[in-house]
Amino acid sequence: MAVMTTTTAPAVGFDRVSKTYGDVRAVDGLTLALHPGETVALLGPNGAGKSTTLDLLLGLKQADSGTVRVFGTAPREAIVAGRVGAMLQSGGLMDEVTVAELVALACALHPKPYKLSEVLSRAGVSQIAGRKVDKLSGGQAQRVRFALATAGDSDLIVLDEPTTGMDVTTRQAFWATMREQADQGRTVLFATHYLEEADAIADRVLVLHRGRLLADGTAAEIKAKAGARRISFDLEGEIDEPALRALPFLTAVDVSGHTVRVQSADADATVHALYGLGLYPRNLEVAGLGLEQAFVALTTAEEAKTK
Amino acid sequence: MNSLIKLELTRALRNRKFLFFSVIYPSVLFLLIAGSADSTTVVDGTGLTLPTYMMVSMASFGALTAVLMGNSERIAKERESGWVRQLRLTTLPGRGYVLAKTASAAVVSLPSIVIVFAVAAAVKDVRLDAWQWLALTGAIWAGSLVFAALGVALGYLTSGDAVRPVTMITYFGLSILGGLWMPTTTFPAWLQDIAKWVPTHAYAALGQAIERNQAPHAQDIVILAVFFALFTGGAAWLYRKDTLKA
Repeated sequence: MAVMTTTTAPAVGFDRVSKTYGDVRAVDGLTLALHPGETVALLGPNGAGKSTTLDLLLGLKQADSGTVRVFGTAPREAIVAGRVGAMLQSGGLMDEVTVAELVALACALHPKPYKLSEVLSRAGVSQIAGRKVDKLSGGQAQRVRFALATAGDSDLIVLDEPTTGMDVTTRQAFWATMREQADQGRTVLFATHYLEEADAIADRVLVLHRGRLLADGTAAEIKAKAGARRISFDLEGEIDEPALRALPFLTAVDVSGHTVRVQSADADATVHALYGLGLYPRNLEVAGLGLEQAFVALTTAEEAKTK
Repeated sequence: MNSLIKLELTRALRNRKFLFFSVIYPSVLFLLIAGSADSTTVVDGTGLTLPTYMMVSMASFGALTAVLMGNSERIAKERESGWVRQLRLTTLPGRGYVLAKTASAAVVSLPSIVIVFAVAAAVKDVRLDAWQWLALTGAIWAGSLVFAALGVALGYLTSGDAVRPVTMITYFGLSILGGLWMPTTTFPAWLQDIAKWVPTHAYAALGQAIERNQAPHAQDIVILAVFFALFTGGAAWLYRKDTLKA
């Protein structure tokens, strides 16, 4: 039985996990499972509970109730077994030592370490290996943190806002490296507020809001769930706004001058009804929502519900 | 954990300012205080000459500097920067960080003790038996653990801008009240009554007893043991509190 649980256990399992600070519920009855090999983005506005969720997952904080399991064991056990590599947003570095010395320490502490030179080059810090840690730029420090998180052969890599402080080129190189990690069968979980990163990289997107899971699916599914499509068109003459608002399946309406922009859960039906009003819309466009708009739509809908 | 101790040491040995204050400075201070004294002046009520007396005081002071100053400020800073959190994501056991800090401080404190001895023997002709030199080194080195524990506790107690002044006040308070800079026999009586309960006083008294060829006073050993228990207990409690909060 013991063998069964270790081989079939999800990489990460949260079962009705709650964590409260004072009267703020940072994480509220969160249940989720990440499967080995998935690349998962954790999205949410500030204060949604992303960092607390990652802290609970890494055993840095203890849940008030519920259980957190990593590969079927307690988080600390998974870390000691070398199965987890993590890069914290708030993870400081030891100063007055060189990059190479610090990364060598991470290798020495990992049960299944890679070669130092390998780790340095993968993280793109070979050139600055001899530099003192306290003399690094923000982006360089991020790459050193990444090197620490990938010093050994871990099965799960957890990254909290990993590309903060990186320029566009470095960011692209970073995600290319990250994809390699994922292609080798690792589970990758990253929190980000760059929605295009979630859209481009993650197989699965978790949207957190007020400590609860608001949406869980592929980026495409999340966009669909958020009210799907955006329709825009121009109308000549007087605009009969009440009539437009009465169109079916609308989730948002915006009229400015002669231009009308709406969001619809069923764009076909909405457009059909629009013609049914006897109008002649010009420059009609129907487009999918970006993940960013979907995200905003989801969280504002939730805000409205809780108010 | 050895890899962390090694790296902590490399870093300590690279920091010239820290090395100067913990390794060289106590010897310099010894020469300043004992330099003009001839080797026959006896410190009142101790039966020891001034150079002999001050040698133990300064060796104790050097060890105190190495273990207290090194630990508290760095721990406070590294707690704040998040390095302590990052280390908790490695296989390093929870106490490993504190143990590595203490071990590396102990390695730096050893030369500061030995250099004071060497300077005292070479310049001020302090002569002791071989066993006394060894026992002194051992007692002062082992006794410094009490203050290493205090350094850890302070590092977890304070943070940010407060850590330096708090450490400094503790450090100077302990040094002066404990009679490391001048014999407590020069203090007014009421202050002497306080001083004999200060752990640094008991700490230096250990070495002075060895110099006098006597067994250490039971009272001093009890005082050191009680403070050691207090400081390690406090450090452990603060450490656990910090870990839960982190």
